[in-house]
Amino acid sequence: MAAQSGMVDPAIFKDLQSMVDQDAALRDELRDIIQALEKHNRNIMFVLSRAHSTPVANLSDVLKAAEEPIQNVVETVSKLSQSASKLPYYKFNSMWSRQVQEAVSGILFWGWLGGQKQDGGESKCGRLLTIEELGEILKVPVNLKDRDEFHLTIEEYLQALITLVEELARLARNSVTLGDYERPVLINQFIKDLHAGFQILNLKNDSLRRRSDGIKYRVKDVEDVVYDLSLRNLLPKKEVEN
Amino acid sequence: MGYKRSRDEAMVEVKTEQPASPYIPMFEGFRKELDEHHDRREKIIKASRDITASSKKMQVASIKHRVRSLGQPVPQFVNKNNTQYWETIDKQYKSIAADVQGLNAYRYERNITGGNQEFMESLTFQHYLETQTLISYDESKSRIAAMSGEGGPVLLSPEDFILGVFDLIGELMRFSITSMAMNGKLPAGKPKKYKNEKKDAEDEQAGDKMDVDEEAPAASETQQPRIVLSDLREIRLRLEMFEPPPGSKFADEVEKKMRVMRECVDKVEKALYSLTVRGKERPKGWMPEATEGRRAEVESY
Repeated sequence: MAAQSGMVDPAIFKDLQSMVDQDAALRDELRDIIQALEKHNRNIMFVLSRAHSTPVANLSDVLKAAEEPIQNVVETVSKLSQSASKLPYYKFNSMWSRQVQEAVSGILFWGWLGGQKQDGGESKCGRLLTIEELGEILKVPVNLKDRDEFHLTIEEYLQALITLVEELARLARNSVTLGDYERPVLINQFIKDLHAGFQILNLKNDSLRRRSDGIKYRVKDVEDVVYDLSLRNLLPKKEVEN
Repeated sequence: MGYKRSRDEAMVEVKTEQPASPYIPMFEGFRKELDEHHDRREKIIKASRDITASSKKMQVASIKHRVRSLGQPVPQFVNKNNTQYWETIDKQYKSIAADVQGLNAYRYERNITGGNQEFMESLTFQHYLETQTLISYDESKSRIAAMSGEGGPVLLSPEDFILGVFDLIGELMRFSITSMAMNGKLPAGKPKKYKNEKKDAEDEQAGDKMDVDEEAPAASETQQPRIVLSDLREIRLRLEMFEPPPGSKFADEVEKKMRVMRECVDKVEKALYSLTVRGKERPKGWMPEATEGRRAEVESY
C-alpha cells in the first residue's frame, strides 16, 4: 500500500482481472470437451431412435450399434472428469450439467431396452439402471459429498429419468404400431412405478419440479394406450390374468 | 418463492395412495439427500437476507448520522449504533460457515452472493470513511473469514467483491450529496477542517487493524487533500477498465451496474457544478440539484 498515491491500490484490480481471466480460460478449455460430449450424445440418440421402429426381435442390432457412441460418451465424460476434478465442482457444473443429463438419459434408454447384458448373458427389456450402475458405466463417482471432484449428481440422474419416461411414452404408442401389444403394458407399469417414486420427493420450485410435473401426463398417455388395447381385447392374455 | 408444503403432510398423502413401487427405497434415499440440500439452501438464503438487511441499515445510519469527515475513525455514536448490525452479520456468517465448505462452497454461492455483495458495499464504505482508500479483495476475504469463525471461511468470490464496489459508488454519491447540502462542500481528506467529534472517536477503534492516522493522506503537507469526487473518478476509471468475461452472467450484471455507477458519478459532478455556480447564494439546508427526486431511483437498484 506504500506505493499508492490515490484511493485505489492498482494491484487490487490487476489481481481481480487476472483471476477472472483465468476462470474464462478454464471455461474455454472445458467448452471443447463439452461440445464433443454433445456430439456423441446426439449419436446415441440417433442410433436408439431406431428402437421406435424396430420390433423387439430385431432390437439387438440397434443396441449393439449404440455401444460405439456410448463408448465415445464414456471416454469424453472421463476426459471431462479429469479436467473438472481439478476445479471446484459446483463453480463450473452448470456448464456441462445438461450434456451429462443427456448422456445419462441415452444410456438409461439403452439399458431399459436391454442393452446391458444380465449375468446369464440374456438381455431383458424394462430394466432401470440405478445411479450407481450409471456411475460404473461412465466410470465416475456418484453423489459425492466428502470431496470436491467431478461426479454424477442426484439431480442429473432424476432429470435423465424424466427424459426416459418421455421417451418410453412415445415407445408405448410406437410399439402398438409395430404390432407389439406386450410392451405398452410393461411401460405402463414401469413409469407408474417411477411416478410413485417422484411423488415422494419434496421438490422445490425448480426445473426438476416443473419437468417432473409432466410425468403424470405421460402416465396418462400410456394408460390411454393400454385402455385402447384392452377395449379391443388386444392385451396379451397372461397380462390380463395378472 | 412460494410457501412450501409441510414435508410430513406430503409424505402421508403419498403413502396412503401409492402401494409398493419397487423404486420407492431408491427414491427415499434421494428424498433424504434433496431435503438436506434444500434445508441448507434455505438456511443460507435466509442468512443472506439478514446480512443484506443489516448491511443496508448500516449504510443508511452512517450517512444519517453525519459522518462528514474522511480518513479518521467514524464517530463513536455512529459505531455504537452500527454495532448491532455488525453483530447480526457476524452471527449470520457464523451460522452458515459449516454449510458452505469444500464441495458446498460454490454449490450455494448464488444463494449467499446477495448478502456478500451488500456486505461488501458496507465494508468498502466503512473502510473508505476511515482511511479514504479502497479495501483490497484479500483483506475483505479475511474479514469475512474472521467473521465466519470455526466453521471455516465463507467464500467471497472476486465477482461479489467487484459488484460490491460498484454499489459503493452509489453510497459515496449519497454521502457527497448529503454533505454538500449540510456543509456546503464535498468531504475531503483533511480532517482538521472539520470540527466533528474527533475526541470520542479514538477508543472504539482500539482493536482495529487499520492504523488510521498514518494512512490518512492528509498527513502529507505538500499534497492537496483529495476530495470524494476525485476518488469517485478513480474508482469509476478502474471499474471501466475492468473486463468481465464476455457473455457471462457476471458480464451482464457488470453492464447493468456500470450504467448506474456512471449516473452516480455524474450526479456528484452536476451537484458540485451547481454548488460552484450558485454556491454563494445557497440558503441554509438547500439541497443541490434535485437530490430528492432522483434518490429513490438510485436506492432501488
